[in-house]
Amino acid sequence: MYELFADLGTWLTGAEQWQGPDGIAHRLTEHLQYSLLATLIATVIALPIGLLIGHTGRGAFLAINLSSFGRALPTVGLVVLVFLASGLSMTPVYVALVALAVPSIVTNTYAGMTAVDPEVKDAARGQGMRGHQILWQVELPLALPLIMTGLRLALIQVVATATVAAYVSFGGLGRYVFDGLAQRDLVQVLGGAVLVAVVAVVLDLALSGLQRILFRHRTA
Amino acid sequence: MTIDWSWISDHASDLATLTVSHLQAALTAVLLGLLISLPLAVLAHRVRPLRGFLLGLSNILFTIPSIAVFVLLLPVSGLTRTTTVIGLTVYTLVVLLRNTVEGLDSVPARTREAAKAMGTRPLRVLLTIELPLALPVIMAGVRIATVMSISLVSVATYIGDGGLGQLFTDGFQRNFPTPVIVGIALTLLLALVADALLVAVQYALTPWKRKRA
Amino acid sequence: MTRTPRSTTRRSLLGGLLAAAAVPALAACSSGITSLDGQGGGGTGGGSSAGGITIGTANFTENQVLGYLYAEALQAAGVKTKVRANLGTREILIPALEGGDIDLLPEYQGALLHYLDPKAKATEEGEMQNALAIALPKGLQILPYGMAEDSDAFVVTPGTARKYGLTSLADLAKQNGKLVIGAAPEVKKRTVGAVGLKDVYGVEFKEFKSLDSSGPLVKGALKKGDVDVANLFTTDTDIIAEGWVVLTDPKNLIPGQHVVPLIADRAADSTVRRALARLGAALTTKDLTELNRLVDKDKKDPEDVAHGWAAAHGLAEK
Repeated sequence: MYELFADLGTWLTGAEQWQGPDGIAHRLTEHLQYSLLATLIATVIALPIGLLIGHTGRGAFLAINLSSFGRALPTVGLVVLVFLASGLSMTPVYVALVALAVPSIVTNTYAGMTAVDPEVKDAARGQGMRGHQILWQVELPLALPLIMTGLRLALIQVVATATVAAYVSFGGLGRYVFDGLAQRDLVQVLGGAVLVAVVAVVLDLALSGLQRILFRHRTA
Repeated sequence: MTIDWSWISDHASDLATLTVSHLQAALTAVLLGLLISLPLAVLAHRVRPLRGFLLGLSNILFTIPSIAVFVLLLPVSGLTRTTTVIGLTVYTLVVLLRNTVEGLDSVPARTREAAKAMGTRPLRVLLTIELPLALPVIMAGVRIATVMSISLVSVATYIGDGGLGQLFTDGFQRNFPTPVIVGIALTLLLALVADALLVAVQYALTPWKRKRA
Repeated sequence: MTRTPRSTTRRSLLGGLLAAAAVPALAACSSGITSLDGQGGGGTGGGSSAGGITIGTANFTENQVLGYLYAEALQAAGVKTKVRANLGTREILIPALEGGDIDLLPEYQGALLHYLDPKAKATEEGEMQNALAIALPKGLQILPYGMAEDSDAFVVTPGTARKYGLTSLADLAKQNGKLVIGAAPEVKKRTVGAVGLKDVYGVEFKEFKSLDSSGPLVKGALKKGDVDVANLFTTDTDIIAEGWVVLTDPKNLIPGQHVVPLIADRAADSTVRRALARLGAALTTKDLTELNRLVDKDKKDPEDVAHGWAAAHGLAEK
């Protein structure tokens, strides 16, 4: 084990390891690109659904079951299925990553919306606010912490799972994991895994920082 | 993309074997996860400094790709079912530990104090008061961990195991959608049934909730 | 935990010190080493198949077909078998064989030899068999090689061949830095792969794309033009079906690749040797190519096509 970690240090710090098409810099960029784009697409799909369900109170059953269904969906199977249906492209990867991220965002958005005190909503209505005004000016800001929690959870899952892109010939940090498996090069596997974890933690910290800034602004 | 129905009927017994193997891996992992996370959660609940450390550690584990965990276990446990189960257990811990700690947190301090005041021993307080009251939150964790494990087993197909996941690599290598579709459907079905059973178990384990309802 | 296969260096040094004439002497004093005439079989290895044999196979169709063929032959000889299909690459399988997770593995002479000893020079079947006996780690042995052969091939589309004037591997060096090669990830580090192409032919690719072993990824990428050169197997019927050009190998980088059983000493007894020798003598390259096609194209199960072949050749369990 000690030897493995010592080799990891060499692997991570070697200058040549950072350059070229299979270099860490390039793979890291690819990984960020896959993860952020997938999470963005998922947010665009999931946020309106979560807000709508939360605002109208209809479809809650769907929201809860969707999350359970989403967790059960095997990513590898989904990637292979979409690959067989649509051919060699990044589509299978994005479909699988979006499918993974949507449930977390929908359920947390919904949970955030239902956590808003009904009395606050009544008060807003009493002041003559319309439905969409209540949604944007009252519910959304109050639901924001839980929405952000959902986004953070989704992003962490997507970053860890984006490794699957390498299974269908694409790049990202998963390249090191899959190549390391094929070559039985455990240092490369560990290097890839550590980099994925670092990316996930850094992005999570960035989002939680963003969340704090948004909050301070709200409460001030 | 057409489904070859005759392939499915011809392979009914193979599919049954894979399904059982799949379920066995997932359930063993959840059971092991529970056995490990219960004492750890009690510890994390009692000893404040440990709490942050344990929960933080489990959060970091969650960010590591599962395939990497399986591969890194190869020098330890080889191409075996053990590797699959250890890998899956790691991921169940993340959910089980957090939920069990939160479950214990949800027990009102007053209830605990009252039991102590009546002279009940700490272990007895834990077993007869705290854990039963924490059960709904713990069970919510068990349900998530079970569904997650059932979905994750297929990743172990990269190390030659993976239950129904073997249908994915097979379909992939041969450009053959039928096994892949069947694999996904059976995984979802397993998850759904397991989840429903756990709801029933929770119902049976918490009679007091029923009386109140 | 190191990147090179274990104990290779020491063993290849040993191999270099020993003249070919010294090999039989080594074989005589080392228990469980394979017979050296290539087709002998029999002999007492000290192992036993009584407890059953677990056959492991690599992550491509043909290796699974071979695994199930081994199982058929062994069952017919009264040996209990279990096949663990699709376990991964040679790099994963050989440690698993040493560790006891599997007992037997269908291998390929030249590829196995270069995995164990990247500097191996042997190219003729008998020589390779001897070199393998020396290079193998303790506890493993090879049995007599079979008739069937499946080599690595580096292929290009007819269009690429015309565009760059490619007929042999040597021509690739004239296009250094321009071409993209697609192959399974392990091929990047293999002698019969990117390493050998550089050392022997001086070929440097613009990029190595990690794909799969003669599977949908590498063939799809070649068709789409995502890669210029693809590493496929000679038993892949798509090479002819698609009209792809196999680059010739004037400097013999790619060694002969007869199918050869790699087995743990603990499982090798005379029953196993005899059964696998009979199979090896009956299975032709043409048969193997057809069995691969049945699995890949007609979506038959590898175990079924293996059983069909064994039954037709009187090698299946009665």
